[in-house]
Amino acid sequence: MKLIFVILIKELKSLFLSPLFYLITFLATILMGITYSISVWNFSQTLANTMLTMMGGQTQQQNIHYVVFVPHLSLLNLIYIFVVPALSMRLISEEKKNRTFDLLLTSPVTSAQIVIGKYLSLLVVNFGLAAICLVYVFIAARMFEFNIIPTVLALIGIFLCGAAYAAMNLFASSLTESAMISFFVGIVLNIGIWIVGGLTDLMDQPILKSIFEQISLNSHLQPLIEGVVKLNGMVFFMSVVFIFCFLTERVIESVRWRA
Amino acid sequence: MIEVIDLCKNYGDRKAIQNLNFKISAGDVVGLLGPNGAGKSTTMKIITGFMAPTTGVAKICGFDVFENPLEVKKRIGYLPEQPPVYLDMTVQSYLEYVSDLKLVDRQFKKEYLEKSLIKTQLLSVRHRMIKNLSKGFKQRVGIAQALVSNPEVLVLDEPTVGLDPKQVAEVRELIKELRGNHTIILSTHILSEVQATCNKVIIIHEGRIVAQDDIDKIEKLNQGIMTVSIKTKIDKSLEDLLRGMSDVLDVEKVTNTYYRVKMSDRGQSLDDLAHLVINSGAGLLEMSPQNENLEDVFLKLTYGEQKGGAL
Repeated sequence: MKLIFVILIKELKSLFLSPLFYLITFLATILMGITYSISVWNFSQTLANTMLTMMGGQTQQQNIHYVVFVPHLSLLNLIYIFVVPALSMRLISEEKKNRTFDLLLTSPVTSAQIVIGKYLSLLVVNFGLAAICLVYVFIAARMFEFNIIPTVLALIGIFLCGAAYAAMNLFASSLTESAMISFFVGIVLNIGIWIVGGLTDLMDQPILKSIFEQISLNSHLQPLIEGVVKLNGMVFFMSVVFIFCFLTERVIESVRWRA
Repeated sequence: MIEVIDLCKNYGDRKAIQNLNFKISAGDVVGLLGPNGAGKSTTMKIITGFMAPTTGVAKICGFDVFENPLEVKKRIGYLPEQPPVYLDMTVQSYLEYVSDLKLVDRQFKKEYLEKSLIKTQLLSVRHRMIKNLSKGFKQRVGIAQALVSNPEVLVLDEPTVGLDPKQVAEVRELIKELRGNHTIILSTHILSEVQATCNKVIIIHEGRIVAQDDIDKIEKLNQGIMTVSIKTKIDKSLEDLLRGMSDVLDVEKVTNTYYRVKMSDRGQSLDDLAHLVINSGAGLLEMSPQNENLEDVFLKLTYGEQKGGAL
C-alpha cells in the first residue's frame, strides 16, 4: 500500500509540475465556460418561449438537466477522450524509453503496485476535471431550484467513462516506448469503444445484438445520464478498468521474461 | 553473499549465457570482465531480479532471486548501463523517491541520503533539476540512487562508460572507498578499471566463464612469459635471427629498427637476447622487458591463444 502511494505521489508531482497539465485544465475550463454560458442562455430563451406558449394554452416541459447539464457533461466526456491519452502517454512508455523502468523493476515493488499507483494518478486528474465541471452545476444550484441528483449521477457516469479511458490508455502506454504512438493508440481505443456500441443497430442476429449492447459504453452510460443506477452498468465499467489494468500488469511483468 | 548456480539465458536460439557458476563473499569487489556481448549485462540483470533466467539459480544473501524477489531487491543497489534518472526531478527529490521505493526505514532515510550525496559529491547540485546536469553528474546521480538505501550488494553495470578521464578516476576512487562496506559486482570491458578497483575477477566470454580468481592469481596465469621491446641503431632486418633463438615464442616487426619479441623468461634469456642483437651488428639502442599482465591474459582467454599472442 505504501509503495502504491509512493508511486501515486511521484506521478501526481510530475503531472502537476508539467505545463501540459495546466494548459489542458485551462483550455478545459475555457471550453466548459463558453459552452455552459451558451447552454444557459439557450435554456433561458427556450423557457421564455415556453412560458409564452403556455399562455396560449399549450404545455411543453423543459428540463435543465437535459438542456444544460447533459451537453455540459458530454463536453467533459469529449475532453476525457483526448486529454486522458495525453496525460497517460508518458506514464509507462517514457519510463521504458528513459530506462527508469530498470529502477522500478529492481525495486521491491510489484508490477501490480506500479500499475495501481499510475492508474490512481490518472483517476485523481480525471476527478479534478470532473470537479471543475461540477462547479458550474453548483453555481446553477444556487441560482435556480432543481433536483441536482440526476446531474451528479450523470457526472459519475462520465467519470466512470474517464476511468475506463484511463485504464485503456495506460495499457496503450505500456505497449510502446513512443509517447506519440501511445497517444494515438489511446485515442483510437477511446473512440473505438464508442464505435463498438454504434454497431449494435447494424446487427441482425439477436445474440450478436445482445453482445454488442452489453459491451457498448453508451448503453451503460445512458441509464446514469437519466439518473438511474444499474448494477450491470457498474459491473461493466469495473470490468473494463480491471481487464485493462490487468493487461497492463501482464505487459510489465512480461518484460522480465522477454527482455 | 552472491551465489550463481548453472545460470543460463537464451534469447530465442541465441545462448546469451551458459552454465555460469560463481560465488562472491561479503565485502568483495568483483569485476565481471568480458568483451561487448559476452553476457555481462544479462548476468547482472538476472542477479538484480530484472530478468528471469532460462534455467539455473541466483541467490543474494541466501534469498533466491525468483522465489523471494522482494527480499533480494531490498538488499540490492543497481546502476544499469544508462543511469535510471527522472530528468524532471531535482537530485534530492529523486533520491528521496528512490529511498521510498526501496522501503528505507524512515529513521535512516535522511542519514543514508546525506551519505550518498556526500560520497558521490553531489551536495552542490542537490536542488538542481537532473536534466540540467552534465553526463558525469547524471552518472553520479545514478550511483547515488544505488547507494541511497545503503544496500548490502551493489551491482554496477559499466559505471564509468561515457565519462571523461577525470570523472572515471573519481568513480574508481569512489568504488575503492565503498570496498568493505558493500559487496560490489561491477561489469566492464575496460581492464584497467578492474585492476584499479577489484580484488577478484570473473572473465566471461561468449556466455561462459573462462576464468575466475583473485586478480593477482589471474595475472600469474601467464607467468614466465614476457614481451621485450627492442630498438636498434642500424636499419637491418633481425626477424629471422630473433626467431632462431630457442626461448623466442613470437616476433612482431614494427619497423626495421623496432621489434617486439615474446619469449619465455628463464633468467638468462634477456642476456642471450642482448648478446644476439649486439653481435648482429645492428647496434642495441634500447631493450625493455615487460611481464605479461591482465590484459594479455584477457586477450588470450577471450580472443584465443593465436590472436592474443600476436597482440
